[in-house]
Amino acid sequence: MSLSWAWLFLLLATFPWLLGVDLLSDAMAASGVCLFVSGAAIIAPCRRLRRWQAVLFSACVGFLFESLRPIPDGSLALLLVFIAIYLTSHRDEIRDMPKMFGAAVVVNALGCSAWFIAAGLAHTADVPLLSLHFLGQWLLHLLLATILAVLLLVPLTLVQNFAMDRVGVPQPDEAV
Amino acid sequence: MDNNRQGAKASYVALVFFIGLWLILPSAVRRFNREAFAEFQAPALHLVGKGRDLARYWELKSRSPEELVAASRDLARINAALELKLHSLDDARKENIRLREMLRYPQSTEFVTVVARVSIRETSSWWQRIVIRKGRSDGIRPGCPVVFGDRVIGRVSTVHLTTSEVDLVTSPGFRCTAFLEGDDQYHVVHVSGRAGLSLSAPRAVVSIIPLEYNPPAGQIAKVMTTGLGGVFPSGLTLGTLEAGVQSTAEKHMQTGALTPAKELNFIQEVSVLIPKYPTAGEILLTPAGKPEEFR
Repeated sequence: MSLSWAWLFLLLATFPWLLGVDLLSDAMAASGVCLFVSGAAIIAPCRRLRRWQAVLFSACVGFLFESLRPIPDGSLALLLVFIAIYLTSHRDEIRDMPKMFGAAVVVNALGCSAWFIAAGLAHTADVPLLSLHFLGQWLLHLLLATILAVLLLVPLTLVQNFAMDRVGVPQPDEAV
Repeated sequence: MDNNRQGAKASYVALVFFIGLWLILPSAVRRFNREAFAEFQAPALHLVGKGRDLARYWELKSRSPEELVAASRDLARINAALELKLHSLDDARKENIRLREMLRYPQSTEFVTVVARVSIRETSSWWQRIVIRKGRSDGIRPGCPVVFGDRVIGRVSTVHLTTSEVDLVTSPGFRCTAFLEGDDQYHVVHVSGRAGLSLSAPRAVVSIIPLEYNPPAGQIAKVMTTGLGGVFPSGLTLGTLEAGVQSTAEKHMQTGALTPAKELNFIQEVSVLIPKYPTAGEILLTPAGKPEEFR
């Protein structure tokens, strides 16, 4: 496979994880929480992929999450693209594992906030933005997104690194 | 390193330009994008649903023959009772048609039923929906009612080629008119989903209940569809009205909470009712010269 299609190959390798988290949300449907890991899924690719590839990958991950949910178009995908541009130009901030954990938590929390607020804006008549109800729900989703980012980052990174090795994506030190 | 930072600046500028473009793009482009990503996921959702069916099949296969014999005996009895009921309903249907013809009463909406398995459930504070494994290729259209037996599950919100998204009764986008059991005046009330609290069962709200309405003593009041608007057939159960109906701030109406008729988070199979003929709303929204879409 050509190196320029590495982002697509990586997306196919990441998709089962995103689907797995959706199934976990399905199993917890009675609790009314939506689990989210798309933010953490862009960390490892941003270490090694070229910028345009990381941007395409992040956009696709965001659009995949949005496509089956009533979230305003592009609210998550465009934020992930912005983060991908930032991370690929500050690769030293995701150089080692502790820094990757920090980045995964922050990016996943930001992504979760983006879709939660964007979707919530449609219901401000029922639930005012600054109400205790809204803040409580938001904090709960943030907490779950943070926990999930910490729990899933290592296995997700292992799979993504394996996929990138197979495609021949350069190691982080060599990435431009 | 400088080249890298300069490249980043150019990327930010490109992103800002793209966001601007994204905002002014026609909604058809955004819809196409959403549709493309939904179709990308559709095979995986089908696989998940079929995997569940297979697991259920093996679970059933492990049952003892005695259990199966008992189940088939029960089913045979139910079948016999239902056949009798069918005969009596057939007579009633014929009489109904004759009376409608005599009175020149307009035909009620007729539906084709499509049974669909649930692929995945999606819940959050802002939505409660399910994805089913039937779509445009099976004739499903947006707005079709979704039921289980005589109980309302929700309404189709988005249709893809082989999958559809269904807004549940408790989802904030759901709206429907209803009658309350025990209301001799047949006042029309309004049922709507509400943004839910996480970690608690989702609820819908029944509003514009007249002040003089009192639920039947000693039993839970059912909330049933009116058939007005032509979306849902009349007489389907939306759920039950919870105790503790409260007056509104203006003291001229009451509101109450609705418990859905079916445990929505555990449902495995639903029926989609597809109107045989286009509804009034569909006719209004269909571009002229494209009536073949409904055939």
